[in-house]
Order: sequence, then structure tokens, then C-alpha cells
Amino acid sequence: MFTTSHACSVHTMLLTCSQVYEAIDNHEGSFCAELLSFKHPHVANPRLQLASPEEKCQQVLEVPYDEMVAAHLRCTYAVSNHDFVEAYKCQTLVVQSFLRAFQSHKEENWALPVMFAVTLDLRIFANNAEQQLLRKGKGKLGDMLEKAAEQLMGCFRVCASDNRAGIDDSKKWGMLFLINQLFKIYFKINKLHLCKPLIRAIDSSNLKDDYSMAQRVTYKYYVGRKAMFDSDYKPAEEYLSFSFQHCHRSSQRNKRMILIYLLPVKMLLGHMPNHQLLRKYDLMQFADVTKAVSEGNLLLLNEALAKHETFFIRCGIFLILEKLKIITYRNLFKKVYQLLKTHQLPLDAFLVALKMMQVEEVDIDEVQCILANLICEGHIKGYISHQHQKLVVSKANPFPLLSSSS
Amino acid sequence: MNNKIASRRVSHSRRRGQPVERDWRQHHNQGVWREVQEERRQESIPRGVCLSMCPIRELQDREAQNLLHRFEVLSGTERERWPRADPSGVVKEYARPAAGKDSTRPSDLRPPAVLLKTVFYLVDNIAASPTLRPWTEVYDFVFDRLRSVRQDMIIQRVSGADCVAVLERTVRFLIYASYRLCGEPLRLYDPRINDTHLQESLSWLLECYTSGKHPNQEEFQALGLLYNLGSSRATQHTMELPERIRSSPVMHLALSVSRAFMERNPVRLLRLAHSLDFLQSCALHRHLVTCRRDLLLIYSHGHSSKNCRFPLHKLSHILALDVPLTNQLCQAHGVEVHGDSVVFSKTTFTEPEAGKLQCAHFHDLVDRKQRDLTVGSIIHGCT
Repeated sequence: MFTTSHACSVHTMLLTCSQVYEAIDNHEGSFCAELLSFKHPHVANPRLQLASPEEKCQQVLEVPYDEMVAAHLRCTYAVSNHDFVEAYKCQTLVVQSFLRAFQSHKEENWALPVMFAVTLDLRIFANNAEQQLLRKGKGKLGDMLEKAAEQLMGCFRVCASDNRAGIDDSKKWGMLFLINQLFKIYFKINKLHLCKPLIRAIDSSNLKDDYSMAQRVTYKYYVGRKAMFDSDYKPAEEYLSFSFQHCHRSSQRNKRMILIYLLPVKMLLGHMPNHQLLRKYDLMQFADVTKAVSEGNLLLLNEALAKHETFFIRCGIFLILEKLKIITYRNLFKKVYQLLKTHQLPLDAFLVALKMMQVEEVDIDEVQCILANLICEGHIKGYISHQHQKLVVSKANPFPLLSSSS
Repeated sequence: MNNKIASRRVSHSRRRGQPVERDWRQHHNQGVWREVQEERRQESIPRGVCLSMCPIRELQDREAQNLLHRFEVLSGTERERWPRADPSGVVKEYARPAAGKDSTRPSDLRPPAVLLKTVFYLVDNIAASPTLRPWTEVYDFVFDRLRSVRQDMIIQRVSGADCVAVLERTVRFLIYASYRLCGEPLRLYDPRINDTHLQESLSWLLECYTSGKHPNQEEFQALGLLYNLGSSRATQHTMELPERIRSSPVMHLALSVSRAFMERNPVRLLRLAHSLDFLQSCALHRHLVTCRRDLLLIYSHGHSSKNCRFPLHKLSHILALDVPLTNQLCQAHGVEVHGDSVVFSKTTFTEPEAGKLQCAHFHDLVDRKQRDLTVGSIIHGCT
């Protein structure tokens, strides 16, 4: 027994299916992508939100497109019910069906926009579904995202192994987008080591400088963050600087995010940001940190880190900022050297300096250790004489520039 | 490519006109098969009814096949051809899940109260036993039986206080074992296997802590941080804990140790290590090797001068080792010792040959703390 609204739904759905059919037939990737994307307003249309659209889809579309659209429609239904776990499951089917079709497209890549749309939605639903489960006290953080990542890897492999098509029709153009999606997942679930093979894939690709600037900016942002995590500060600075410089002027939010990671790296290399920059991007949390480090003021540094602890921890940079302590020691000790104007500095002078900075429970043995570490890292040129309880520094440039010794 | 996702064939049968149940269709999509299974299982979580440490069936089977462990045998019957089972000593062993084997039979599963009783038995009567020897064998038995306890917990989805009580003792046991058996030959004890299970149990325990109140949480967050010293993942996790946990004295100390490690200040680290209790020292001890190596490296560079001498006794004090061991350590790292002085040089420092340095020889710092602590009190946590 059909009601009027049911008839309307059927009609709307058949219309959508025909549109998809046309788009596929004409290889209109972008249009097809819109029809399957949750960014497009059609998903809010209650006439499309159906629990069992399979039959109608099969009437219009071939396998596997029928399953793909049917799953997409079931997904809109699930989303309208705020059931993101179900939405995620449906989206999984969408991606799976899509991939079957995609693989059968020999030497053509018109469907790339569709891939971008459906994989993006997959990741977003995985995120939402996890949040939903966690709020109910079920599910483990990262489970759904990991599964989504596996599917994305499936798509990635299809793209990466497309060796036959000419450069214009190659599926390889889809690689960087997928990699960026995978990076987002791996960073969220804290499995950064999984980024390595992806980075290798891009490094060895001849397309790496030809992807869109937006994609490259995102890519370098994540690679820069990974380098930070691995304590490779020079490469981290290069990547993040590129990302910051080439990030579009209008994306203030993104520029700010890049800066949050670029600033600590630059500070570790001895370059302090000016207040103008911090104010422009609303990052005044770094102001006290910067001041403390450049003055060698350990007390202020500890206070600044404590004051903005929550913010720094949430961004995952607290631990890196703590590394600035070594730079701060260096700057503090340089002041001692400049004050005493001699090349044979009593260890006691450094101990006094530290005590003035209210460093807890520090004794002369620790002072020796800190100094020895600075020498080992190349921040001080000289040696310690335990017998004379003195630090003997080189007459030429005993405190080399930070950027040269990092 | 996975061909189990049948395409043509399935769509034909679907086109035969029967309205298709969503469930049925999902069965043929391997990706969500797991999810459906998961849903079904959640509706009927197995609940164990076995009230003894070992299901009767398994006890009878193993007794009949002469597969009882030495510790499970009725005393007096050990020499017989078919030793008899001691019902108060047989414990369900770990069995790998296998196809066709139903591990969810209620009569084979022990409810949480029995699991906790089992753990107590394993700790008090086996691990802490003053007579059972050698301890490598004690460890093997307890390790396996604890693994079986965890398996029962997983199958029955045990959570909350029951789960925590079991896991806390498991983690303490594995940490203690990592210290006590350090240096044993590989055929008797594999530190990597111990580490794997320790990390798994610790992760599970920390996850349990995310809901509800648990009085020992600070103790284990600290143990986790010390055991995983230097790990960005573990450190970041600790930084994200609520302020009131991080500011507890035990966490404060662990964080100070961690900070000293990250800043590469081994002098400070070794000094702070003196304040750790026995179990914390067990958790930390494998990192002391790196710590001491770092110290010798840093000092080799910082004190690198032909004419300078560093007193050996001072170095041994900083390293928290006696003089002969300090000598040994220096030699292994290419650091020259002349009489009672050390001559540091950045050119002579070397990494020790693989296998040359045995961590176990340098356990003094930890050993001293055991004093009159019993194994039982260490594992139950009433020190």
C-alpha cells in the first residue's frame, strides 16, 4: 500500500539514481561526487532517507553502482537518525562498492572526485561513530578509525599501482589526498609510525611537486609534525615553513595550526618569534615562553609552561617546549660568561645562577652534568676540569649560534 | 583482490524479486560481517559458572592424559606413573582459541570472584612460595595461568573493579619478574614475551581506569611511565591525565624522573631513582643501562681533556655503583681508568660490544630496596 509520501520518495530516489547513472555514463566525476557527498544538500532531503532502497537502485543502476547508491541512501537515513555507527557501516559499503567500480576503470581516472568524497565521509563518520560509542561507554578509541584506515589503504593501493595509464589519466593523482586522510587518522590514533611507508611512497613519486598546493600544504604540515615527533628539527622546520608560507592567506585557522608547531621548532633552533606575529595569530601563550628562553630565565619558563599547560598539552607540544630548557640553560650560562668576562669560569657561578632561578634541589654535580650535556650537544665549546671545579671555554666563539649547533 | 565479495551472482539472486533483509545482504559484505557478529555476541555474553580454579572436565582430561603440571600434582603421587590431581592446586591453563573449539561454555568459564581467588592462589601459594624452585619454573606456571585468567575475563567481558583487581596484580607480577629474572638464559626466560604481556595488561588496566574511581591509579600510572621511560606515547598519555592525578606525590616523582631522562640529565635521574620504592625501581631498572651509558658519553665529551682527572669514587657515587663495577662499566665503554682516577676523552668513548654488559650485574641499586619485602606483599601491593 503506497502512501503519497512513499510515492514521492520513490520518485525522488529514482530521479537521483538516474542522475547518478547519467553522471557515470558521461564520466562526470565531480557531479557524481556531489550526488554521493555529505557536503551536498541532497542528504538533508527526507525523501531520500530510506531504510531499504536496494530494489529501486537495482532497477536503474548496474552492479556495483546500485549497491553504492543504495548504501549511500541508507546512510542518509542513518544520519537523519543521528546513528553514526550505522552511518559508518553504510559508508563502508559505499567505499567498498566504489572501489570495485574504480578498479574496473582501466586507464581512466574520472572517478577520482567520487573517491575523494566517499573516503572523506568515511573518515568523518568513523570519527563521529567512535565519539558516540565512547559516550555510551562502549567501544575502544581508535577501533573504527583503524578500520577506516584499512579501507583507505585499499583505495591507496589501487591508485599507487596504476602504472599503465598515461599521466593525465593516471589514478596516481589520487594518492596525496588519500595520504592526507590517512595522516589525519594515524595522528588521531597515535600510530605515527604508520606514516613512514606513505612518506616513502610520495618521496619516490615523480608527481610529488605537481599535486595541488592545498594538498601539498596539508602533506607538509603532517610530515613536519612527524619530523618534530622524531626530533628531526631541521627537516621539521623546512616542512612546516613551506606549509605556513604556502597556506592560503584566507585560511587563518590553518595558518594558526601550522604556527603552533612551527614556533617550538624555530625556538629550538634559536629563532624567537616577535610579538606582532603572536598577536596576529592569537598565540600569545608563546609570548612568555619566548621571553623566558631568550633571557635564559628558567623561572619564567617554568611559570609560562605551567600557566598554559592545558593548551600546550592538548596541542601535543608541551614535551617539545620542555626541551627549550636546554636552550634556556645555554642562554643563562652565556650570561654568566658575559658577566664574568673570563675563560675559566668557576662551576659555583653557574650553581648560583640556577639557585637564583629557584631551580629545585640542584647541586654542583648536577651543574657539571648540565654543562657537560651542553658541551656534548655542541652548545658550548670547552671542557670541565673537575679538579679545579671550573668550566674552561674556548677563546673563540665559546657559545656558537644555536642554529648551527642543533 | 578479495573475491569473497560475490558480485554478479549475488545481484542475480537479489533480482529474483524477494525484498532483501538488510542483515542478509550484510552477511555477504565481508567488511561488516565482523560487526554483525559482534552485535550478535553482545546480546549473549557468556557467563561462567565454574566455581573451581579449573573446570572439572579439564582436570579430568589432563589427569587422564598425564598432562598435569608438577605444581598441580597431589603430594605423594609425584613418582607414580599416573600422578593424581590435587583439586586444590589445579588451575585452568591457557589454551589458544581454535576453530571448532567452543571457548564460551559456561561450565568452562570462571566468574570474576573465582578469577580473583585464582589470582590470590597463584600469588600466595606459587609466586610467593619460599620452597618452590627454580623461580623460572614458578614464573612460567604463574605467567600461563594468569594468561588464562585474562582470557576468561575477555570472553566474559569482565570490567570494573573485578577486572582492575586482577590486572593490578598481573602487572605487579610481570614487573617484578622482569627484574628478578633479568639475565636468565633465553631458553628459561624471554624478556620480550614478558614485555609484550606486560604492555598489554598495562594498556588494558589504564583503559579500565578511565571510568570510575580506582584507589591505586596513581601507583600504576607512575609504574607505566617509569617502565616506558622515554616513550613519547607514554609521556604524552601521562600529560593528558587529570591534574589531581598528576600532582600526587608518586606521579610527581615519576614525572621528575621522566623529565630528567628527557633532558638527558643522568645525574639527576640517578639521584631521583634513590627515592623510588622497590617495585618502581624494578619498572625503571632496564633504563638504567641507557642512563649510565648516557652519563659516560656526556662526561666523555664534557670533561674531554688530557690533563684532567676525575675521581673514580666520585663517579661511582654518581653512578650508584660500587668501585669495581664502575671500573667494569668504564672499561666496557672505552673510558680510561688510571688507578683511582678516570680520564675522560671524547675520542675514546665507545658503545659496548653487544652482549658484553649484563644488566643483571648492575642491579645493586634495586636489590638494596627489596630488604625484607616478601614477594606476596610486592605483588598484592601492601608494601
